Parts: sequence; structure tokens; C-alpha cells
Amino acid sequence: MLKTASTFALRRVLISIPVLLGILFVTFMLVRIGQQDPAAMIAGPIADPGILTQVRKDLGLDQPIWVQFGAYLMRLLQGDLGRSWQDGTPVLHHLLSHLPITLELVLPALALAFLLGVPIGLQAALRPNGLFDQVSRGIALFGFSVPTYWLGLMAIFVFFYSLGWAPAPMGLLSMELVAPDPITGFPTLDALLAGDWKAAASSIGHLALPVLCLTLAAGGPVIKQARAIAIEILGMDHILYARAAGFSTRRIQRMVLRGALVPLVTFAGVELVSLFATGSLVEYVFARGGLGHWGLNAIMQSDFAAVQGYVLALAVCSVVVFLVVDLCTLLLEPRG
Amino acid sequence: MSAHIAPHSLPVTARPPRSALLLGIARRSPTFAAGLLIVLAFALAAILAPWLAPHDPVQSFPDKVLLPPQSDFPLGTDGNGMDLASRLIFGSRYAFAILLPVGLLSLAVGLPLGLLAGYRGGWVDEVLMRAADVLRAFPTIILALAVVAAAGPSLINVVIVVGLLDSPIFMRLVRAEVLALRRAPFVVAARAQGCSTARIILVHILPNAILGATAQLPIRMAWAVRISATLAFIGVGIQAPAPEWGAMIRQGAEYVISGEWWVATFPGFTLILLVIGLNLLGDGVQDLLDPRRRASGK
Amino acid sequence: MSLLEVRDLRVHFESRDLYNQRRVASALNGVTFALDKGEILGLVGESGAGKSLTTLALLGLLRPPARIVGGSARFDGQELVGMPPAALNRIRGTELTMVVQSPRTSLDPLARIGDQLVRMQRRRGPVDKAEAMRRAQAMLEEVGIPDAARRLQAWPHQLSGGMAQRVLMALALVNRPRLLIADEPTTGLDVTVQAQVLDTLRALVQGRGMAALMITHDLGVIAHYCTRVAVMFAGTIVEQGTVTEVFRNPAHPYTRALLASTPRRIAQSGYRITGGAPPNLYALPTGCPYQDRCPQRAAICATPPPAAEAGGSHRAWCHFAVPRPETVDA
Repeated sequence: MLKTASTFALRRVLISIPVLLGILFVTFMLVRIGQQDPAAMIAGPIADPGILTQVRKDLGLDQPIWVQFGAYLMRLLQGDLGRSWQDGTPVLHHLLSHLPITLELVLPALALAFLLGVPIGLQAALRPNGLFDQVSRGIALFGFSVPTYWLGLMAIFVFFYSLGWAPAPMGLLSMELVAPDPITGFPTLDALLAGDWKAAASSIGHLALPVLCLTLAAGGPVIKQARAIAIEILGMDHILYARAAGFSTRRIQRMVLRGALVPLVTFAGVELVSLFATGSLVEYVFARGGLGHWGLNAIMQSDFAAVQGYVLALAVCSVVVFLVVDLCTLLLEPRG
Repeated sequence: MSAHIAPHSLPVTARPPRSALLLGIARRSPTFAAGLLIVLAFALAAILAPWLAPHDPVQSFPDKVLLPPQSDFPLGTDGNGMDLASRLIFGSRYAFAILLPVGLLSLAVGLPLGLLAGYRGGWVDEVLMRAADVLRAFPTIILALAVVAAAGPSLINVVIVVGLLDSPIFMRLVRAEVLALRRAPFVVAARAQGCSTARIILVHILPNAILGATAQLPIRMAWAVRISATLAFIGVGIQAPAPEWGAMIRQGAEYVISGEWWVATFPGFTLILLVIGLNLLGDGVQDLLDPRRRASGK
Repeated sequence: MSLLEVRDLRVHFESRDLYNQRRVASALNGVTFALDKGEILGLVGESGAGKSLTTLALLGLLRPPARIVGGSARFDGQELVGMPPAALNRIRGTELTMVVQSPRTSLDPLARIGDQLVRMQRRRGPVDKAEAMRRAQAMLEEVGIPDAARRLQAWPHQLSGGMAQRVLMALALVNRPRLLIADEPTTGLDVTVQAQVLDTLRALVQGRGMAALMITHDLGVIAHYCTRVAVMFAGTIVEQGTVTEVFRNPAHPYTRALLASTPRRIAQSGYRITGGAPPNLYALPTGCPYQDRCPQRAAICATPPPAAEAGGSHRAWCHFAVPRPETVDA
């Protein structure tokens, strides 16, 4: 059993390699489909043709495409993702420094969405078409359909403008506070580590609305998925047998939950990846300056190296997440 | 009056009227009925927009900027002094201009590829599936944003990019369907009788695969409407002053912190309503098609 | 008083078609039988006759759109029909247990065999884990599982079909129930394994003085392992009696057709047409449900057939079960 599990794991890792190459090719092509010329972008609008040719040569844009792709791969291997033309900083530095801000938004939202969504979905599945099911389906449908950025705007209007409960939707901290020195890069965590309670409270206050918006948007799919999985398991032979054997509802719920674990872990991976994307819109609306906000900015400014680096980072993230999830399910399944 | 009873008026085993069929469908899947109603209402609004809208959607009233909802402008005006209600009604034209071609395109690409992957198997399948894996690794919204931003913001670019990015979903769906059907006894029987591959695909597999994919179509269309609105909201899709809902939310975003809530709120509600309608329609179609789901209902 | 007394049990499936017309399928139309301690009653009939449905109705496991619309089922004097779910749940798995026809998928795939047996014993109340494990091992040995101590640690997917069926039997018997319902317990098993499993089952039922209701469409199984038999058709029992009575002297035409369709009889007397479409449960004929396929059909068959006594406990629900003078009132 152990042997088949490890061969499966090895095969799973090997499959990721061509996928990774495909991803690299897509991101490489990303800046080449455009109508804008990166050289012109860098040289500036008033550069003369001589300088333009020189810039093009420096960037290697005069080489055949596969040579350029090879050069791109070589640079990546050395950890060189290029530089943002907006501020000249290496893209890798941007990615690493912005990532914790995004994780601080995405991970709590993911956790909340599952902690709330899974019990709701399971409960709804126990009595399909009952009142609880109808209501939870309504919530799920709304979460499914509402654009996160719009939800963010509405939250800002209600809780900042009208009620004044939430801080101004800008940045990670109130203006008058000074952020503590970064240790981990996670703003709230750093404030707590520094013992700066005021900064920590302000940080959490700034986090509350974005996390709630993201939770609702992520919770819809979680409810729907948990319900579908539970309904499927509830129809399986061993559950029917458990009913015939007179097991308590609680025991049957536990069996369903245990059976749902593997598909739910898989789904959590999918959700995490999609939250990086939807989270970027929330960051944008609340001007949080995380990875997503920075990436969207790069897209709007046609900052090619930054866009490339951002898209590549997201794709690599999801490959890694899917891989980890698949390996986790190996451990959770007795049959291996 | 009792003298005459026409024989055909007797309630023999006559087929119930068509209205009973509609009622029966609505009863079996209220979800389907509600979704259909919403989507049809939007379709009507799109078709009849010039007659329904009180104003020209891009006509600016310079002295009527940011008016709250009132009798003349039922949903208020935006920062350019344009009538929000009229813009929302005309916006449904953009919605259908996105969802119909995107749905068709992703189906037109995904269906044949799925058939090919499922029926041929082997390396063809392997290559296509890995390609789908590659696309799946990118969050669709972000990749669509990056590609449309690079290719230039226009309706046609949005349609092509969103349609292509969504096609792997249909490919996987059809492939799974084909794999299941390939081993189905009726297909095995057909092959045993000497039917050609083309005939088996066309006559036996395609209709079933299409049925499975169609059930998914409204849900993918809802996704297309959402994603194109997101593109417009970020400013790389359809651009204001075109009355597109996402672009309108973008216009309204800056007024949210100064209290003019209506500019961003109403386009959002409209967008949500259509997306909910399409999702309900999709769920309803699946309820009606899938006997297992049907049996679990009332 | 019998251990189980089922009287006139009726189950309907209610649904609506696409034209919103209400449709009622009469799946059980007055099932009546009784079962005593020490007996093994075989319930036989073609697919769709309502054999499994009868057991589901007894156990209170019907789900919409199926529901009990009438009749009674008394288990040890307690009425099962309409019993509150919690009370019924206490009986299930303890007094009244079940062996089902898909053993491999009916075991919890995510629990070891030993743990499942312990879990089942806890249905009777708290038990010491080590003690429960000892009993589990003893039970596995009783149902004929070799190397029982090691099997306690096995996962369901590691078992063969026959092994899984024995584990299911162990689960059904570990709480020392008074009635065991076995729904096609040997479908999908090799013939030799079938015989072993059924031998074990019979020995345990008789050794413990309990009763069993065995559902099957295999007449050979009935003949070998049951003491009494009830023949079902279209949701009713058309004939019942001891195995000897019914097999020696089948009184209902359907039973005769069924018996004539076993391979040995066909070889003896040539091919006999016994089949025909199962009756449409949405529109059953009035009177005898078998009339559309019956070679002896007559005008009187449009009236409900009486329970004709055919000697001893042998009954057949047919107008022509016992030769009698021509009736003219129909």
C-alpha cells in the first residue's frame, strides 16, 4: 500500500513539470501579444529610433522567440524576474514584500468561509428542500453572484460613511500611527510581536471589512460544495446501512463529515487559489497595497515585468497548492 | 343545456393543456422557472431598451449631476449627469453581447476538444489535459485582466479572451461524459454491430455530451457576465461612458465615500440579479435533466 | 403471538408528472405474513414485486416519495408503523438487524472492521473497548472468518466479497437480535461461497433461537435454507406456507410458473412461458393482480381473490387455488 502511494505521489510530482513549463510559456507570451512595445514603454514616448533599437537589443527583443524564451528561463533560474519600470525595484522583492499582506487577508477569509460554510452545507444536506436548506441556498447563491468589489464598496458606504464604525478604506493602519518594524512582514502579526497594541487594534480594524466581504464571497461556493458532497455521501450504501443499523444522527453526521474530508480538502485548494484573485479586487477597493493590489496596478500601468512576475507567482502558487492538496488526500485515504 | 354533450368534451385520457406542462415544470423545479423569468426579463429589456429607457443612456445633463433618485431620474444621475436607469437598461445589451458569444465560443472550442480527448485517449488526451491544467493554474480573472490589458480593451477582445479561458471547463466536462459513455453498454453494442467511429460519436455520444454541457451553459454565462464586469471595473474592459454595469460601478466607486451611494449601488444590484437568474436557470436545468436530483426533490 | 406480524401493509409512491398530474404507484398492496421464533421465512418474487420495499417499510427507512399508507406491522407486540423515529431507531440494529445485498459498499469505507464491530455493540449502551474487541473477534470467528484477530485491523476495501458479507453478518448478529432480515445476502458471490455463507447463517439463526426473513429470487436458496416461504407479486403475497407445502403443491398459478422456470424443471418438461411484463403499478387491475399474465384467467378474477386454505398453514390468494364448484355470481 505504501509503495503504490509513493508511486502515485511521484507520478503526481512529475506531472507538474510539463504544466509548469506550459505556465512559464504562457507568462512569457503574455507581454508579446500586446500592441504596446515594451521597448517604447521603457525608452519613453520621445525616444528617437536609435535609442529604441538600442533598448530593444538590450532587452533581447531582436532575437528569435525561442531564444528569448530560453533567456527568460535562464533568468528565472537565477531568481531574476526583471525589474518594475515604475520604480526600478526587482519584481521578486515586490512579490515577497507584498505577499504577507495578501495572506493576512486571504487566509482568515478562507478559514472563516470553511468554518461557517461546511456546517451550514452539511446541515442543509440532512433535510434537502427544508427551510434551513432553502435559506442557506439563498445565502450561497448571493455569495456566488455578488461581485466582491461591489460588496466592498457597499460595506464602505454603510460602515465607514454612514455608521462611522470602520476606519477609512485606505492602507493597513490609521494615518497617525507608525507601523512597527517588519519582522514577519504580516502587519498585524508584527504589531503584536512589537507589543504595539494600538497598531495591532488598528490593523485588525482595517482588516475586518475586507475579510468579511471576502468570507461572504468565498462562503457561497463552500456551502454549495459541502451540501453537494454531503448529499452524495448520504445516498451511499454505507450510510443507508448505518441508518438500518439504527445509528444516531450524530454518528451518521460524523461519518458524513469524515467522508467529506477528502473532497473538502481538495476544494479548499481550489478556493485558496481563487481567493488570491478575488482578494486582489478587495485589496484594490480597500487600497490595502497587498500583492493583488500591486499586481492590478501593474496590469493597469502596463508594467510588463511586474505583470509577468505577478501572474507567474499566482500560477506557481496554484500548482504548489494543488500538489500539496493531492498529497494530503493520499494521507487521508486509507486505501492509498 | 343538458341536451348536448359533445363526445370530445368528456375527460377521457386527453393530454392536459400546455399550460399544465409549464406549471408542472415550474412545480418540479421552481428554480428553473424563477431563473427563466429573470433571464427573459433581461432579454426583453435588452431588446426594448430604446422604448423602455426614459433617456438616452449617454446623454449628459450638465446641470443635473449626481442627483439622488427622483421622479425625473428614477435611479438618480451619475457624475456626468447621465440617467442611471437608462444606462442600466441599455447595459443589459452589453451583458447579452458578452454572454451569448462567450458561451458559444467556449462551447465551440471545448466540445470538439473534449470529444477528441475522450474518444481518442492516449497522447492526444494527455496533451490536451495538460494544456487544460496549465490554464487552470492561472486564476481566470487575473489572466483575463492581463491578456485584455495587453491586447487592448475592446468588446471583441473581452469575448475572445473570456471565451477561450472558459473553454477548458467544457472540454473537461465533455471528456468525462465521453469516457463514461464509451463504456456504456449501448455504445459497446453499437461498436459490436460494426458502427463506424464517426457514427458512434455523432449519433450516440454527441447528443448526450451536448445535453450534459448545455446544463452547464447558463452557469458559465453567469461567470462570463461577472468577469467582463470585473474587467470593466478595473478599467481594462469596456470603457465608460459606455453603459456597461462594471464600468458604471467603477464610476460610482469614488462617490461611495462622499455619500452618493446610488451611482455604484444600482449597477451592482442589476448585475447580481442577472447573475442569480442565470445561476438559477443552470441549477434548474440540471434538476430537470438529472433524474437523481429530481428524485431527491419533492 | 408471532414475533413479527405484518397485516395489510400498504406503501404508495406519490409523484407528479411533467403535466403536474398526480401519479400514485401502489407498490405494496396489503402485504400480510407472520414469522415465529426459530423460523426462516423466505420472501420470493420477481424484481419490482416489493420484497426489499417490504423490509424498508418494516424498518421505517422509506424516504419520500414512498410512504406507508396503511396496515400494521407488530414486532414482539410493538406496532412499528407510526412508531416515533427515536423509538424505532432503538430497535434497529439491536433487536432487529439487517444484512444487505451490497456488502462491500455497505461497510463504512473509512473505519477498520474491528472499530465497526465495536461501534455496533455500543448501540446497546457503553461497552469497555477491550471487551468489545474480544467479542468482535469471537463474532468474526463464529461467522467463519479465518485469522479473525488480524481481520479486526483490516479496512473494508481489503476484503473479498464473501469476507465482506461475513463481516456484515457479524455486524448484524453481534448484538444478539431477535429478528434478522437478510436482503439477497448472497447475490454477487460465487456459488460455493454462497453455500458457505448461507450454511453459517442458518446455523447461527437456529442455534440462537432467533428468526430470519430472507429475501431472494433464488428458489434453490429457499428450498435449502428456509422453513417457510411467501411468494410476492405486484406488492402482494400471493401464496405462503411451509417450504414443503408450497414446493410440493403450488396452489397459485404464479408460483407454479415460478417453479416451472427453474433450470431443472425446464429441462424436465420443456420450455414454458412464464414471463410477461411486470404489472403497471400506476394502474393495477382491480381484483387479482396476476390476471393479465394468468393462463387460468376468468371473469371472476376481476374481484379480489380470497385467501384459499390449501391445507395446514398453506394459503393461496387465488379464485382457483382449491378446486370448487363453478361460481356463477361473477
